[in-house]
Amino acid sequence: MRKFLVTCALVLFAALAANPAAADPVEDILTGFASSKYDDIEKSIDALAASGDAAAPAILDALSAGDLQVSSDKKLYIKGDDGSLKEARSGADATGEIPPGLKAVKVNNRVRRAIDAAMGQLTLLSPDPAKRLSAAASQFHAPDPAQLPAVESAIAKESDPAVKRAFEQARAAIILVKSDAPDADKIAAIGLLAARGDEDAKSLLDAATASGSPAVADAARGALKGIERSLAWWSAAQNVYYGLSLGSVLLLAAIGLAITFGVMGVINMAHGEMVMLGAYTTYVVQQAVMVAAPGLTDYALVLAVPAAFLVSGAAGIAIERSIIRFLYGRPLETLLATFGLSLVLQQAMRSIFGPTNLQVDNPSWMSGSMDLGGLAITYNRFWIILFAVAIFALLTLVLRKTALGLQMRAVTQNRRMAASMGIRTGWVDSLTFGLGSGVAGIAGVALSQIDNVSPNLGQSYIIDSFMVVVFGGVGNLWGTLVGAMSLGVANKLLEPVAGAVLGKIVVLVLLVLFIQRRPRGLFPVKGRAVES
Amino acid sequence: MSAMRTYSVAVVILGGALAVALLSLLPAEHALHVPGYVVALLGKYLCYALLALSVDLVWGYVGILSLGHGAFFAIGGYAMGMYLMRQIGARGVYGNATLPDFMVFLNWQELPWYWGGFNHFGFALLVMALAPGLLAFVFGYLAFRSRVTGVYLSIITQALTYALMLAFFRNDMGFGGNNGLTDFKDFLGFSLQSDATRAGLLVASAALLSLFYVVCRMLVGARFGKVLVAIRDAESRARFLGYRVERYKVAVFVFSAVMAGLAGALYVPQVGIINPGEFAPANSIEAVIWVAVGGRGTLVGAIIGAILVNLGKTIFTGALPELWLFALGGLFILVTLFLPKGVVGLWDRIMARRVPAPPLVAAPVRQPEAGE
Amino acid sequence: MTEVTDALLYLDGVTVSFDGFKALNTLSFVVAPGEMRAVIGPNGAGKTTMMDVITGKTRPDQGTALFRGSADLTKLDEAEIATLGIGRKFQKPTVFEMHSVTDNLLLALKGDRAPRRVLFARETLSERARIDEILETVRLSAVRRRLAGELSHGQKQWLEIGMLLAQEPELLLVDEPVAGMTDAETADTADLLRRINQTRTVVVVEHDMTFVRALDVKVTVLHEGSVLAEGSLDHVSADPRVVEVYLGR
Ligand SMILES: Nc1ncnc2c1ncn2[C@@H]1O[C@H](COP(=O)(O)OP(=O)(O)OP(=O)(O)O)[C@@H](O)[C@H]1O
Ligand SMILES: [Mg+2]
Repeated sequence: MRKFLVTCALVLFAALAANPAAADPVEDILTGFASSKYDDIEKSIDALAASGDAAAPAILDALSAGDLQVSSDKKLYIKGDDGSLKEARSGADATGEIPPGLKAVKVNNRVRRAIDAAMGQLTLLSPDPAKRLSAAASQFHAPDPAQLPAVESAIAKESDPAVKRAFEQARAAIILVKSDAPDADKIAAIGLLAARGDEDAKSLLDAATASGSPAVADAARGALKGIERSLAWWSAAQNVYYGLSLGSVLLLAAIGLAITFGVMGVINMAHGEMVMLGAYTTYVVQQAVMVAAPGLTDYALVLAVPAAFLVSGAAGIAIERSIIRFLYGRPLETLLATFGLSLVLQQAMRSIFGPTNLQVDNPSWMSGSMDLGGLAITYNRFWIILFAVAIFALLTLVLRKTALGLQMRAVTQNRRMAASMGIRTGWVDSLTFGLGSGVAGIAGVALSQIDNVSPNLGQSYIIDSFMVVVFGGVGNLWGTLVGAMSLGVANKLLEPVAGAVLGKIVVLVLLVLFIQRRPRGLFPVKGRAVES
Repeated sequence: MSAMRTYSVAVVILGGALAVALLSLLPAEHALHVPGYVVALLGKYLCYALLALSVDLVWGYVGILSLGHGAFFAIGGYAMGMYLMRQIGARGVYGNATLPDFMVFLNWQELPWYWGGFNHFGFALLVMALAPGLLAFVFGYLAFRSRVTGVYLSIITQALTYALMLAFFRNDMGFGGNNGLTDFKDFLGFSLQSDATRAGLLVASAALLSLFYVVCRMLVGARFGKVLVAIRDAESRARFLGYRVERYKVAVFVFSAVMAGLAGALYVPQVGIINPGEFAPANSIEAVIWVAVGGRGTLVGAIIGAILVNLGKTIFTGALPELWLFALGGLFILVTLFLPKGVVGLWDRIMARRVPAPPLVAAPVRQPEAGE
Repeated sequence: MTEVTDALLYLDGVTVSFDGFKALNTLSFVVAPGEMRAVIGPNGAGKTTMMDVITGKTRPDQGTALFRGSADLTKLDEAEIATLGIGRKFQKPTVFEMHSVTDNLLLALKGDRAPRRVLFARETLSERARIDEILETVRLSAVRRRLAGELSHGQKQWLEIGMLLAQEPELLLVDEPVAGMTDAETADTADLLRRINQTRTVVVVEHDMTFVRALDVKVTVLHEGSVLAEGSLDHVSADPRVVEVYLGR
């Protein structure tokens, strides 16, 4: 029977909404705003909100901004910032002469409060599901028993399942804080919150354990335990995600090194500065795009990747030709000379761009985050993971499948033999070094998104990068991948236990111990080449 | 090198320091008066020279390129800093007789146990030598026993000092965190502000440097030193002759670390502060470049290099601060490319052209490690 | 350990593999005290690897390696094995290039190698006499003050043998001692080794057949990590398998 009535009401409502020719109650409500009494205005606000009319939000907005105007014939207009006038209901530009007796509708604090409440109610009924969802969330976070009827009616009208669930959770939250709600309802609400199982649900349940009714308190405690367990899992998973993302940063920073140090055996202490050059290139490209084609600023990063590769790669080739070439077979000297080079490059950037951090913008597609179960996946980290994996795959392919890769391996395995087979070993060295440096530059593009672009950018990664390469096993790209990821994850898993700095120290110490146990890393390359 | 020449180096260092110290005690208006800041500066150079000497001993003679010697230097410095902190007593800002200011600031109630004993100079002195030595022993034992050599060793020594830097930055380590230890008042009862104390510290630094120079010279001149060079040039040959290479390496590494620690200890009262920045990997590498500039494997070269480079740094950072890093960086590159034997090698070459004489010391240029 | 053999050097079932490749394959090799043995075999046969196992440089995956029937060579490191009395000359001559010839010998002289002893060691008259004697033996008296790095290839080979002598080992392992020598030098080296063999046990690896013939001792032929043939040079040269893999027709 009741169902029947509701259906009738709904049908009626639909018919009303579909037929604009029918007597329009909203127009009546709007005339109330012409009154000079705050009471009347307040009543009109409530009525307008209850009507759920499409124009209501705009009208209420204008009212609270003081832009709602009423003429002496009780017609409402909204004044735009530019002085234009629109009819409040239809939103059409007002034509003809300025309506006579136009004045602003008065607001005081009580009216403002009424507007706020009305807006909350309106968004519960908003045609945009995203708006309804956020309205539900705000109800959930600040449950107000007074809103229970509004929420319940919203549930009844809701057709989108996700939004409906959000409303139900909001209702559960309200019931839980509502002191006079029956125990049975509260226990049902606890069940719902337990299913939600996040930090917010936990704090609501926490409060509920103090409930006067033992049954409710017990149920809340039981639910809490379950939530805590699952939260622990989620937070571990979250840390693993952070770890993977740190790991990909390490991978990006180290993978160029895996080529120059791992494959060629050249210690390049200026590797970090190749990364830094890449980050600065990103900055320059972004500035240039902003000036030349402001619409494309979001895609400046895409352009920066090849640019950074070229800049750092060219720098690498120049370094190889001018310094490293003369120091082959003298690793310790190479280390010192390239360290000197890193000082020069840092100072050069400081002189050109100044010592302060530069602002590199995140494009819109890299900002924000999404929720995956209990995980918050930030887009920039997510993209960096993908990017790192892609670069890794690409590099593996280059080494495996291209002529350069083949010659590179030939030269590193047996230089004399390669030379006698007509390979120009000098050029292969230069190109290999350029490749490693160029990849470092690409790493700089990614790092510019999550770290400060400053002359010291590279410094903070150089030790970690060497650790990754040595840990993974020199001369082995897969080792670098595994090394970077396990170091990243280990760091992040230790962080909550030991604190960020101590965690890092522990990892460093463990690494030093590990290297002493297995000097050739996780995946050693055996053979004569490495022994000499 | 002849004993004559060995002692003459020591005499020059000690005599020069004494002369400067005496001149600094002249009345300020006297034409030959040396101002106090110059004395402190020279004292600082001599401490750096001692650090360089310790680096040269392991790098020049055993081939261990330590990029973490700054850590031993800093630990020695912290031990001295702790003694100096305790000397402040109730004269700190908070007037607490036992707790240093930073602990009062952090609301600590009592002195951590490891600060105990530092009010006695004898104990502090022991720690200045033993703490770096112990760290070097543990680290060296693990590293050399598992035969970590070459750049791998360099990289893990760098990681070691890096980790220590991070650790000392933490407030709850109890070493003053970021700010380190500073605001010292006096040393062995002498005010650190007085010219006489500065002069005394300068002479003490010179004496310590000369002493260690002579000891190192004797060490490398004796059969022990020959074994070290043998290990540097052909480690596996030395092993197959029956030498326990790792024991030699540990012994020298520890000795060198003690030297660096004492250098750091004398450095702190002369500059008036010790903070975690001293652990920065760049500092350790800079010490290596002093040695390279002077001439690796010559001992004198380390001293000359440390003084020359730091003199350059003082001049440059005063006149053209932004150019200093260019100059230092360029020095790294040019010396390794064009001056593999450093200033001393250059000197030898010039002398050799005039009077054919035996080289000062046979410094290595490159030594491929023969594995087979 | 009980004495299981009266051989000076006893290898049994020794296998060494590198990434699955077997450089030594259940190798058995026995040398009696006072013997001189020549080991030949094609490149990559495992001769140097065998010496690596004996001197503790490479740990075998399987097998027994005993010295004087009691010392387990697979458990000791290079320095311990050297002190036991096994000396080794590398295939590529390895001397201390930055030291003088005399200093090279001084460092090799038998004595206590512990750092704290070496620290206070002074050169004694008997040490000096011993060095002079060795310099005579290896004919390097004329260049005694030169840096070892300045010597010719052949002189370095001899210096390294001199260092072996200074060590006074019971067993000498000599890897390709005459590589890069003239015919006259080769003959001299053979002569020198025979003299050394009067007091010590020697294992020589060589490719030079005239040299092996000049030694006139029992020969072991290695191939693919195991013993292919053993006996007098004439005996093994007659073996068709040896001719096939090594000597050529
Ligand atoms: N450390 C190592 N890693 C990988 N393979 C090795 C190693 N040492 C030796 N081998 C391989 O083991 C095999 C035997 O080498 P070994 O040096 O013992 O041969 P050999 O008989 O001494 O040859 P030659 O006459 O050329 O000196 C070779 O194929 C070599 O490549
Ligand atoms: Mg061989």
